Amino acid sequence: MQVDQTLDCKGLSCPMPIIKLAKTVKKMNSDEVLEMIGTDPGSKTDVPAWCEKTGNVFLEQKEEGGAFIFYIKKK
Amino acid sequence: MFKKGVLRELFDSLFGKTWPMWVGGILLALLNILLFVIKYPWGASGGYVNIGQNLFQTLGAKSLGTSTPISLHTVALLNIFIVLGAFISSLFSKEFSIKVAPVGELVKGLIGGALMGIGATVGIGCTTGGFFSGVPALSGGALFLSLGFMLGTIVALRYLLWEMEALPNISMGKSCTLLPGTGKKTGWQRWLGWILIVVVLYIFSNYTGKGTSLSKILGWHIFIALILGIILQRSRFCIVRAFREPFMTGESSAPVAVILSVLIVLIGFTVLKYFGVGNAGETAVRAIEMKSVYANFWLRALIGGFIFGLGMTVAGGCAVGTLWRAGEGHLKLWMSIVGFVIMAPVSKGFIVPAVVKIIPESLRSKMFLPEYLGYTGAVVLLLVILLLWYMFVKWNEKTGKFSAL
Repeated sequence: MQVDQTLDCKGLSCPMPIIKLAKTVKKMNSDEVLEMIGTDPGSKTDVPAWCEKTGNVFLEQKEEGGAFIFYIKKK
Repeated sequence: MFKKGVLRELFDSLFGKTWPMWVGGILLALLNILLFVIKYPWGASGGYVNIGQNLFQTLGAKSLGTSTPISLHTVALLNIFIVLGAFISSLFSKEFSIKVAPVGELVKGLIGGALMGIGATVGIGCTTGGFFSGVPALSGGALFLSLGFMLGTIVALRYLLWEMEALPNISMGKSCTLLPGTGKKTGWQRWLGWILIVVVLYIFSNYTGKGTSLSKILGWHIFIALILGIILQRSRFCIVRAFREPFMTGESSAPVAVILSVLIVLIGFTVLKYFGVGNAGETAVRAIEMKSVYANFWLRALIGGFIFGLGMTVAGGCAVGTLWRAGEGHLKLWMSIVGFVIMAPVSKGFIVPAVVKIIPESLRSKMFLPEYLGYTGAVVLLLVILLLWYMFVKWNEKTGKFSAL
């Protein structure tokens, strides 16, 4: 997968990851892919919910060594 | 750790996936009703105050101290065992790790906690005792406290959005994660969870085994706190979100879960108050009616609620939200506990007396709604407020009129 930008939210807790995510996606171009890395378990439900609400495409989610990695395509 | 079987399936269904928040809301509501019956509705800030006072007592600052040790304080025990319950739950669900946030975030946790310590003592109550128990307890002050929470949340959210633009470095910088629950060699985490469950049950039986009525009450608070902690962590039940989300993402799941939960508690508390149930015999019927109704109507509640609202939004967790997130390993929320525990007794000792001097007694009185509206009128008023809030949240979810993100 071609990743255009990476957002590091490790160590951050609610609501900071979602605020950062919204701000970052706002500045991206359509169809670009964002890789977001976080450690807040809340992000596992918050990120897909935010994508659904805003119409951005939630591509994939994986877990590596205690971190959650999300891939989001801007609409 | 188990062979695949029905028990393993049960375990996985409980700890494999996050529960919908409304499921948590229903369960927490039922436990809050139980707490009312056993002794007093659920609260949290009183526990922070007690723990802080014990700390000052130990450090020799007697004027900020207390004579009630933590081991005999129901709310302090609730708080401690909620952290432990959430810790166990996050171990079971492989969500535990020590999450070290950047320094700026840790400072925000400390400041947020301190603001909550001031707000909860000035306004008398936090989002748990003041709102989640206070509103269903038919307290007029609770409505103004809730209004204060909302106003504080809106202002602090504006700050967070501004901070992200103007001072992005605060939430950036060095962070790390220790002892993650996923990956190799993490099986010990679930075993530790089981050991801790046995330890908590041992403490529970130790209390109840003493046989006095106080020790039985304390013991059951420990047991209920364990369950509360697990429910809170699994459902990520968050009252900050209920107040914040309409103004942030516009998402309605958190506000709806909290509205549902408050509705159930409202039914339970109204019945208990109406019939005078809840350690009756030891407590007069009048005292039962006045449970969770505090002398804060209306200005004191509004000011305290506003300060608390600022604090919980900056910290990213209210009094209880801080507890279960701390159990999950967020260092920022541990800083919030530190700020809360230190500031609450200081505020009680120095700020509250000054506030009481300034605010006339008529603006900080006990207001039990049924005294003015009857039980029916009070319940109808609250149902209308909950319904309006629900309609606003749903309308806003569709239109995004009030949502910043």
